[in-house]
Amino acid sequence: MKAMTWSDRLWTALFVLLAGFALLLLVAPSLVVIAISFEPRAYISFPPSGFSLKWYQSLLQNRQLTDSIWVSLTISVYVALIGLVLGVPAAFAAVRGTFPGKASLNAFLLSPQMMPGMVIGIASLFFGAYFAFRASNAMLVAALSVFCLPFVIRITMARLAGLDPRLDEASANLGAGKLETFARVTLPQLGPALLAAGAFTFIEAFDNVTVALFTSDVRGRPLPVELYYLVQNDSTPAIAAISAIEIGLSFLVMLVVARTVGLERLGR
Amino acid sequence: MPHIVMESIIKSYGDVRVLDGCSLSVEKGQVMTLLGPSGCGKTTLLRTLAGFVEPDAGRVLVGGIDITALPPNRRSVGYVFQNYALFPHLTVAENVAYGLKVRRRPGPEIKDRVARALDIVSLGPLGDRYPAQLSGGQQQRVAIARVLVLEPDVLLLDEPFNALDAKLRLSMQTELRKLIERLGITSIFVTHDQSEAMMLSDQVAVMRAGTFEQVAPPLAIYDRPANPFVATFIGRANILPVGLRAGAVVDFPAVVAERPDGPADLIVRPENLTLAAGRIDPGTGQSGPPGTVLFAIAQGPTIEYEVDAGFPEPLRVTVNRRSGEVPLAAGSPVSIGVIDPAACRVIERGTP
Ligand SMILES: Nc1ncnc2c1ncn2[C@@H]1O[C@H](COP(=O)(O)OP(=O)(O)O)[C@@H](O)[C@H]1O
Ligand SMILES: [Mg+2]
Repeated sequence: MKAMTWSDRLWTALFVLLAGFALLLLVAPSLVVIAISFEPRAYISFPPSGFSLKWYQSLLQNRQLTDSIWVSLTISVYVALIGLVLGVPAAFAAVRGTFPGKASLNAFLLSPQMMPGMVIGIASLFFGAYFAFRASNAMLVAALSVFCLPFVIRITMARLAGLDPRLDEASANLGAGKLETFARVTLPQLGPALLAAGAFTFIEAFDNVTVALFTSDVRGRPLPVELYYLVQNDSTPAIAAISAIEIGLSFLVMLVVARTVGLERLGR
Repeated sequence: MPHIVMESIIKSYGDVRVLDGCSLSVEKGQVMTLLGPSGCGKTTLLRTLAGFVEPDAGRVLVGGIDITALPPNRRSVGYVFQNYALFPHLTVAENVAYGLKVRRRPGPEIKDRVARALDIVSLGPLGDRYPAQLSGGQQQRVAIARVLVLEPDVLLLDEPFNALDAKLRLSMQTELRKLIERLGITSIFVTHDQSEAMMLSDQVAVMRAGTFEQVAPPLAIYDRPANPFVATFIGRANILPVGLRAGAVVDFPAVVAERPDGPADLIVRPENLTLAAGRIDPGTGQSGPPGTVLFAIAQGPTIEYEVDAGFPEPLRVTVNRRSGEVPLAAGSPVSIGVIDPAACRVIERGTP
């Protein structure tokens, strides 16, 4: 390899510096939050004055909060499942189908992602009101499913487009019908992508505030909304503790995805 | 009655007519090769037989039964894809078992037949590998075993040797030919390699732009090419504009033609010509025009000459080389002779 000139070194150093700075900006807040959660005193300060797990304990005793975690988990599972059930066939039509208006349908299916969550939340609320539905967690599930559908569709489409259509023909040539080909050839190859799409949707549904704020139930609020109200009249490190738990949870899911599918799949 | 019959198949993509009335029949147990330049429609014709392509017009019959409207999964037509199309998420044994599983055969039978099929293609010990862990030649054999295990009536192979290096290709060609002969499956190969076609097939169908130029046994095509396209696609040939007088070619009086006097084209292969130094008859008794050597190159057993004999293009002549013989120098005057006048073809002037 050629020796690096001085200007090369300068640029490399600058690049590393910039990348480090960007990483710091992204990661530092999370680390600060985690640190604060161990503060023994009743107000937020950084660096923490000691180490204590009392705020984690207090969370466990807060029924409203533990209930909301359960609500959020349930909602996220529903949203992920609905996303997969609706998103995978849609992705199929978008990649494999040949019908007039295919391009416009694609744009339509992916459009919820271009819209702020708030708009979807308010729209769902008004739409529900028109039919005399009150805000409820069922409505939240529906609104979040619409909001998250593009994730599933995009991830599935990327994987589908990468599959060799010859494999379907080979399967047919060996005697398999369309359904059997889907079950034996397409689905197994799609599996990792579906896992990734499900995990992504789950995380998004779990920590979404903007849609949930408008459509969630008044009783049995999901976690992000509960937290939102909590910060308004509470400023103890309990907030930091719950955030730390959320950070840990997201990290865990990403770790599972990375281990089983590979993170680079998500980007495509 | 032929085993496979294709009747006037027509297929267009947009404005492009890819198959322009292809008719073909193959006898039971025979090997037919579709030979033609890239893009002439070979794959499309094969895919029509397998049912992946729906023809705009025409019929496909196998064993006397019209299968034109039958979906691919209901045809007993094994297809070996150009890139093999093995299932990447299944092992070799699972790939081969695929069709039997789809047919809901009992487990022990599947195991048995898969083992036998893998043995036939000498892949017995590799059943647990995944396709990505195999060489190109091994992948190809898996693809072949995967269709043979179903004992199809018809075997279709799209350029099956393309991805293999020259040495492996030769051995696979002979192996496959033996296998097909042993199993007696009616087969259609696609290739654009003429020596492969000569070697593998009972019949060769030479294709150009969606139609057949000639369908005949390989040697018949070589010896009696229907037109210049076929003559130059299979082997090499001189296409000479000549005149006819009294039923014979003016420049090569030994070559007779049952055509009216006037202009014509003569097809003559380089190895059917010979030459001698000087202006004498080169000893065949079939003298041709005098000429001048333009270029000569010795290739061990033969010498390739290019000779200016008054035709628009240099005449190509291949002569056997005796040990120690040195090619004639450029500029040497020579006489050209035809070895076997019966092997020459006289056709209408300007036939493409
Ligand atoms: N699905 C298709 N859509 C449009 N054009 C096609 C399609 N399949 C083949 N063609 C065209 O048909 C012609 C013949 O293709 P093919 O049968 O693959 O030729 P070959 O196998 O002889 O090389 C080519 O010009 C190709 O571009
Ligand atoms: Mg082809």
